Amino acid sequence: MCGPRRRPCEDAGVNERHTAVPGDAAHLPALLTFLQDFWSELNLPATEALPFELALEEVFMNVVMHGSHTDRAPLVKVSMTLVGGGVTLTVEDDGPPFDPLSLPAPDVTASLEARRVGGLGVFLVRKVMDSVRYERRDATNLLQMTKNITEVGPAPK
Amino acid sequence: MNTQLESLGGVTIVTPSGRLDFGAAAPFQSELEKVLAKTPAGLVIDCAGLEYVSSAGLRVFLLVSRGAKRSGIAVVICSLKPAVREVFDVSGFSQIIEICADRAAALAKMPA
Repeated sequence: MCGPRRRPCEDAGVNERHTAVPGDAAHLPALLTFLQDFWSELNLPATEALPFELALEEVFMNVVMHGSHTDRAPLVKVSMTLVGGGVTLTVEDDGPPFDPLSLPAPDVTASLEARRVGGLGVFLVRKVMDSVRYERRDATNLLQMTKNITEVGPAPK
Repeated sequence: MNTQLESLGGVTIVTPSGRLDFGAAAPFQSELEKVLAKTPAGLVIDCAGLEYVSSAGLRVFLLVSRGAKRSGIAVVICSLKPAVREVFDVSGFSQIIEICADRAAALAKMPA
């Protein structure tokens, strides 16, 4: 939504990218490429990309797993925005209502034998991002993740 | 992701390189299961070339370590890059899987 001032809207246009893919694991590589293109186009420091790659994979694969119980793969919309010193990654899907943040945290102190992997993906996302927010909005699941990046490169030409 | 295999005495050294994501996890798991099926004395997974790991990749390390333990095969992971090490640390996997700084230290943990 554009505010009354002109500049922030222009900035948002420059610093925002969107894509959409079906919620099928085969599309994970395309999403990674989308993220990496965003990163290089905006000249962001390469080492800061990894937490976002991790968050994108974990969240997308969660949507894929949950969408697989229905007869149609959900449509997954991904957007990335650079605002100030932080990047926001938003993943939106039209699958059945599912709040990944409602999952219990895994017991990360369990022994090798007792250790379970379920729920670990979302746990990692919470750990590597500064903030994670879920919302059910207009028949879609919306997960918004934000993390500050330590050093923002020069503005793109 | 690529995986290289080496044998050193009774020890097998597996060297994955690239990204261990959802797509790479299943092939990597079957590769490691083939190694375990040959019951080496020990298995070193040298991660010097591993750039990225997700929960799908962690799952492989967990299942393989568990399977190896049941078969009495020593498993040590070594040479994790800082970004990958962080994922092992926050998930608590550093506590349940033996991790060494480098290959020499990992080999020193192997049964003679």
